[in-house]
Amino acid sequence: MKLSIDENRCKGCNLCTKVCPYKIFREGKKLNRKGVAIPELDRPERCTNCRLRNLYGRQLCGVCQLTCPDQAIHWVEEEPYEPHKVAIEY
Amino acid sequence: MSYDEWFREDRLPHIYCAGCGNGTIINCTLAAVDQMGWKKEDTVFVSGIGCSSRAPGYILTDSLHTTHGRALAFATGVKMAKPAFNVVVFTGDGDMAAIGGNHFIHACRRNIDMTVVCMNNQIYGMTGGQGSPTTPRGCLSSTTPFGCAEPPFDLCELATAAGANYVARWTSYHVKELEKAVKVGLETPGFSFIEVLVQCPTAFGRRNKFRQVMDHVEFLKSHSLLKAKRDRMLDNHEHVPEDMFVVGELTKRNRPAIGVKP
Repeated sequence: MKLSIDENRCKGCNLCTKVCPYKIFREGKKLNRKGVAIPELDRPERCTNCRLRNLYGRQLCGVCQLTCPDQAIHWVEEEPYEPHKVAIEY
Repeated sequence: MSYDEWFREDRLPHIYCAGCGNGTIINCTLAAVDQMGWKKEDTVFVSGIGCSSRAPGYILTDSLHTTHGRALAFATGVKMAKPAFNVVVFTGDGDMAAIGGNHFIHACRRNIDMTVVCMNNQIYGMTGGQGSPTTPRGCLSSTTPFGCAEPPFDLCELATAAGANYVARWTSYHVKELEKAVKVGLETPGFSFIEVLVQCPTAFGRRNKFRQVMDHVEFLKSHSLLKAKRDRMLDNHEHVPEDMFVVGELTKRNRPAIGVKP
């Protein structure tokens, strides 16, 4: 699974940058079509729910999705054979 | 994830200001409702007037957007006419504590089987930042420009004294706890009241040095005192700071309720 931010819904309040335990969301700098700075994803493959959701078969963490007041954060299923980076944490 | 299907996708994004916590509370409530396994046609969301009361307009079930302060009166009617329905009321502090105060205490007294989620932003946000009955002492608003001189309402104490079966208070920072509290409230037969303190950057924060959203959320986080810790402090005869508010499950009891699902 992978994280995605809905650009049409996000209003740029940056609450997600403060609640994520992995600090995956970073304050965005570029304004989009609506004039909102959408948060950037910093190595989203570290997200617990992205990695282990299918293994455990239930929602893990999910604080960003619950906190997002604009319902902009979602997890989407990845395409088969989509290349993705592997983050190793020591 | 799964509670997405409860939203009216065509109505989103909603009209709340950037950083308003009302959307967070809708998320938590819908996540709890989704876990209950209720059908959409058997669930009714009721609201009054105010920022908080826009919420049912974004939810796919049947809903009532009623007159100012009378959300609980209409919800009582729904429950009496159709006891099999599950009734959830979204309301705000100006809606429920100010103009609908009498409806609130009598709904608590009758102990009608419904769940009330009160989004307490401590000000009238929609109409331009007038002081509400829950504005803390010393806070500025457009009707109290030199600081509020009146003591505020403690809605949880009021609900407990009036006879509600389940009373809890959380903030918009404590999302997981709030979700669990709403779920317990939905499961409890009788009147369940969940007060949620929420940030309001536009009306409250602008006048009270919380111009940034995160400043207000940090304030809510650092000034909340868990009930267990408060009880421990009282047992040890320690001083409980006045500017902190108690969060957690405050009351859970089993008074006889009416309108419980047959």
